[in-house]
Amino acid sequence: MPKGKSSPPADKGADPSAPAHMKRPRKSEAAFDIWLQRGLHEMYDKVASEPIPDELLKLIEEDRKR
Amino acid sequence: MTAVATTQTFHDQIIGILPKLRIQALALTRNRAAAEDLVQDAVCNALSAQQSFIPGTNFPAWMHRILRNRFISNLRKRRDTTDIEDVPSSVFATEAPHEDRLALKELANAMTRLPADQREALVMVVVHGMSYEALAESTGCAVGTAKSRVFRARRQLESWLLGETKESAKAARGAAALLARRLSDSERDADHV
Repeated sequence: MPKGKSSPPADKGADPSAPAHMKRPRKSEAAFDIWLQRGLHEMYDKVASEPIPDELLKLIEEDRKR
Repeated sequence: MTAVATTQTFHDQIIGILPKLRIQALALTRNRAAAEDLVQDAVCNALSAQQSFIPGTNFPAWMHRILRNRFISNLRKRRDTTDIEDVPSSVFATEAPHEDRLALKELANAMTRLPADQREALVMVVVHGMSYEALAESTGCAVGTAKSRVFRARRQLESWLLGETKESAKAARGAAALLARRLSDSERDADHV
């Protein structure tokens, strides 16, 4: 992630620059956010790592040759 | 825009971003087959519109916006005929330890209940590690809106998973409580170092 940009608070509750009602310093919420992060990676990482369908790659490569 | 991206061809950049497009598509559609179709449609749109992409600008944001616009367009066309609510359990099949499976299943179910824009925002930030600025650019909204979507998604999931009295939600509560204890232990250990 580029430096200088606001980093999403993936494992530390809400963004510190967020409005007051969005600040979540409680430990239980931070724990939930960490658990959520792990859970979402568990669910989606496998999808991202699956092979790209040949049909789709062929489509791109054929366009590249034009 | 990274140095790597500027040295890649347009087509290389498309191939490189396909894994992230698949995740975004699954987050939006909640259906594996629909997600694959959406990615293919988005790629076709991008190839057709490649002359409109300005080299040196934010390619990932351009591509994510195309996919998102295509999703919205498809949704309008198919609203009356297609059920995108159905998520096969195999979509979220994992190899997690037995004690975590129930909580993950509950999380997967809760994710399907979130509004599409919140689910997309949460996944792009948490799974892709995208900044709020990049999320805003990729979804065509203000940075504040992007932050709000992620915040609401997190708190809604927390409310559903930790606030409900369903038996299956106990697993999520247990997992979060265990993690909280581990965090406390880690902090205490760190204080003693």
